[in-house]
Amino acid sequence: MSIQHHPSEELLTAFAAGTLDRGQHIAAATHLGHCPACRGWVKSVENVGGAVLAELPPAPMAPDALSRIAPRLAEAPHQSASRRDGDSLPDVPGLPAFVRALPAEPWVWVAPSLHVRRIELGGTSPTRVFLLKSGPGTKLLPHTHTGFELTCVLTGSFTHDNRRYAVGDFDMGTPEDEHEIEIGTDEACISLVAMQGTLRLKGVFGRLLQPLISF
Amino acid sequence: MGLAMAGEPVTPQEWSQCLSAVATHQDRAAFARLFEYFAPRVKTFMRRSGADDAAAEELAQETLLMVWRKAAQFDPATAGAGAWIFTIARNLRVDALRRERGVSARAGDIDAEFLIDGAPTPDAVLAGQQADARVRAALKELSAEQKRVIELSFYQERAHGDIAAVLGIPLGTVKSRLRLAMSKLRILLDDLS
Ligand SMILES: [Zn+2]
Repeated sequence: MSIQHHPSEELLTAFAAGTLDRGQHIAAATHLGHCPACRGWVKSVENVGGAVLAELPPAPMAPDALSRIAPRLAEAPHQSASRRDGDSLPDVPGLPAFVRALPAEPWVWVAPSLHVRRIELGGTSPTRVFLLKSGPGTKLLPHTHTGFELTCVLTGSFTHDNRRYAVGDFDMGTPEDEHEIEIGTDEACISLVAMQGTLRLKGVFGRLLQPLISF
Repeated sequence: MGLAMAGEPVTPQEWSQCLSAVATHQDRAAFARLFEYFAPRVKTFMRRSGADDAAAEELAQETLLMVWRKAAQFDPATAGAGAWIFTIARNLRVDALRRERGVSARAGDIDAEFLIDGAPTPDAVLAGQQADARVRAALKELSAEQKRVIELSFYQERAHGDIAAVLGIPLGTVKSRLRLAMSKLRILLDDLS
């Protein structure tokens, strides 16, 4: 099955340029692991980066710049290879290796058929990254959010505004959207979500649940 | 030394040759030529990304030091030399920014974050030097302003704001022009493939 929904060119360009914040970077990297076409575009942007770099006007370096690093050329490169990255998410398929190596909290129940699992970025990233697991056929409450929300499907599928998102598909939610999401009936859906701002649920029931999802 | 160092290597072929010489026999003259050409340009890249003069100079030195250490990983079949050096500079910039914000990163962390597993892309990715040539050809088709705007996409948001101020146009205009320029570039790259 091929991927139908991709990140915007802008987001992929920012990925290749290295200007995304860490949470957005993780969401984009997760999609890239699934999508050869987007990997191709990232490669192209890196090539553009090379051409841009090569054509920049030079800024004068100190006259002894090269001789100052000369002693370090003889040093053996630092081997960081001995470090072993753990896998804190062995039960979740489709994540890049560096995401697996990040500490993750256990699954937490937030609502019937709905669990979240937070991935720790260990810093002050404005973006929160978590996994969302919903049982087959679950209807998520209509919600809006105050910032962007990037989602990449890891297992199963969901439908959002009549568009179906399956494994590898990337959903870019903007604050204006009102999200009504229905999980595919075949199997549980696990997605990686990178979110800025807060989630707002609609309706009385939503307001009751709000404290539970403000993790 | 001597004649070999007299001129800057200016073509992607020469950069690749210098990188191979560094990789295969730690050729310091070849490294010096790469340093002469790239260190001052990486410094400009860092300056425009918001680093002050001293930090930009240090990042340029670190970038070239990484070029020396990692030269054996350079594969001319999959990457152009310029693009490869760009990714090293980019990763060091991300690392520096993270440290600035007090997030500790281990050596190699950032590289791992840009390492995407997965089968190589089908026809979308060309061999390194071919890709270099194609990108250069595509960039030539863009207007000076479009090229400028594409250059901007390689810097952080705050730098976008600075350059919007320099150009005397609103930040939103910088962004929409950037979007247009990238779409045009994508069409050009697709046509050339
Ligand atoms: Zn894609």
